[in-house]
Amino acid sequence: MIPASAGVGLRFTHHAAVLEERPAAAWFEVHAENYMGGGRPLEYLEAIRCDYPIALHGVALSLGSAEGIDARHLQRFAALADRIDAGLVSEHLAWSASGGNHFPDLLPLPYTEEALAVVCSNVERAQQVLRRQVLVENPSSYLRYRHSTIGEAEFLAALAARTGCGILCDVNNVYVSACNLGFDAVAYLRALPASAVGEIHLAGHRLRQFGDGRSIRIDDHGSRVAPAVWSLYAEAIRFFGPRPTLIEWDTDVPALEVLQEEARYAERLLAKETADACAI
Amino acid sequence: MPALFEVQRAFARALLREDAGEACAHIADDGFGAAGRLRIYRNTCRSTLAATLRLTYPAVEKLVGSGFFEHVAAQYVACHPARSGYLNDYGGEFVAFLAGLGAARELPYLPDVARFEWALSVAANAADAPKIEPTVLLLVDAERHGDLRFTPHPSVSCLELTHPADEIADAVMSGDDAAMAEVDIAARPVHLIVHRGHSGIETERCTARQYGLISRLCAGEALGRVIEAAPEQAPMILAQQLAKGRFSAFTVTA
Repeated sequence: MIPASAGVGLRFTHHAAVLEERPAAAWFEVHAENYMGGGRPLEYLEAIRCDYPIALHGVALSLGSAEGIDARHLQRFAALADRIDAGLVSEHLAWSASGGNHFPDLLPLPYTEEALAVVCSNVERAQQVLRRQVLVENPSSYLRYRHSTIGEAEFLAALAARTGCGILCDVNNVYVSACNLGFDAVAYLRALPASAVGEIHLAGHRLRQFGDGRSIRIDDHGSRVAPAVWSLYAEAIRFFGPRPTLIEWDTDVPALEVLQEEARYAERLLAKETADACAI
Repeated sequence: MPALFEVQRAFARALLREDAGEACAHIADDGFGAAGRLRIYRNTCRSTLAATLRLTYPAVEKLVGSGFFEHVAAQYVACHPARSGYLNDYGGEFVAFLAGLGAARELPYLPDVARFEWALSVAANAADAPKIEPTVLLLVDAERHGDLRFTPHPSVSCLELTHPADEIADAVMSGDDAAMAEVDIAARPVHLIVHRGHSGIETERCTARQYGLISRLCAGEALGRVIEAAPEQAPMILAQQLAKGRFSAFTVTA
C-alpha cells in the first residue's frame, strides 16, 4: 500500500545509498523496464522492498497503440509487479509502438472516440493480466492533432469511468502541456474526477527558447520542481485531497538528499492540505 | 477522420525518416510549426537510443572518442529502430555495424571489444534462471548419461575473438594509459566464456580445446558425443560448468 505522502523516484545511482543508509522515505517508485531483466538490479530492488513500499511505473507498454500491446512486455510487467508486490502500478496515456518498431518516447494520441475505444481495450487487457488496477498518467505534450474531438482531461475521465482504471495526475506535465498548447491548467485539473486520481507526479522541466522568440517547455526531469508547478500542485491536492506524490528526476540525477528535500516540501503542502480539510 | 492506425503509422514513418509531411497533415501548427513539434519527439527517440548504446559500449566509446561515437551511434540509430520496449535488448547488431564501418578499420580490434561488451550486457541483464545442481544428474539412469543435453543459463556467451578484447576493455575503462600501453593488441585467438555467476559478471579465458568442448555443451550437443571427442577432458569440463552454474536445464534426448 502506498501512503498519501511524498515518495521519491528510485534510480540505479541511489541503490547503494538506500540500502546502506535506510533514509527516511515514505515510499519509492521505479521504472518497471529497468527491472525486467534479472541479476543485480532486481536483487537491490527486492532488498529495498523489504523496508519500503514500491510503486511500479511503466514507460513502454504503449497503452495507446492501435496495434494492441506487446504480450511479452505485459507478461514481464506482471511478473515484476507480482514479484515485488507493487503498491501501485501505473503507465501513460501515450503510444510507442507501431509496425513492429518501438519508439522510446511517450508519443501523443489524437483524442477521438476511436482512440478512446483503443485505449480502453488495451487498459482492460493490462488490468486483466496484471490482476490489479492501473493508474494512467497524462503525458507532457508538444503537439495536438487537428482531428481531436475530446479534451485530454475529459478523455482520461471517460477512460477511468469505462475501465475502472485510476488516474495518475502528473502536475508538471499538466503545466508543461498547458504552456505548450495554450490551455488552462487549473481548468484541466478541475475536469479530472477526483475520486479516480490515485497518485500525483512532480518533476522539473526546462524552457527552451528560440532566436525568433518562440519557446517550448521540455519535460526533461532534470531540475527541481518549478515554483509555478508547486502552486499548481497546491491547487491539485485542494481539488483531489492528499494523494501519494512522487518526486521524479531522470536527467543528471542528483544525490538522494536533493530528492528528499523536494519530497519534504511536497510533504509540507500535503500536511497543510490535510490540516485545512480537517479545519473545515 | 483518419484512423488511429494510419495516424500512428504516418507518425512512425516521420520518426524513422526525415520526411514528416504525411504526419504533419494531422498535426496542428499552433504557431510553432507541425514539423518542429514532431522533431521534438524524433530527437528524444534518437537520443534515448544513442544513450542506450553509450551505456552498453563504454569501452568502444572511450576507444573512438565521444564525438566519433556520437556520430556512429546516430548513424546506427537512424537505421536500427528498437524492436521492443525493453531497451536492454537494443544494440546487438552494433557489433556488425561497427565491423562494416570504414572509419573504424584503423582499430581492427574494435568489433571484438564491442562483441565483448555486448556479452557483458547480456550477462548483466539476462533473466534469472535456475542453475542445475550436479546431484540432480545422479537421478538420471547411468545408461542415459550420454544422451544428456544442457541448456545454458541465459547469461552465458561463448566468444571466439581474434584480439584480446577483454584486456583492451579493462585497460581502457581503468583510464590507466600505462596499462593500455602494456596490452599486446596484436591479433591472436582469444577464447572467453562470459556469464553471471554467484558474485557478479565473470569472464573466463580458456584454451581453444576447452572452448570447443564448452561451446558444444552450450549448443545442446549430446554429452556422449562431447565425451567421445575428449574422453579425458570432457567430464572435468562438465563438472566445472555445473559448479559455475552455467547450465539452467537439461534433457535426456537420444
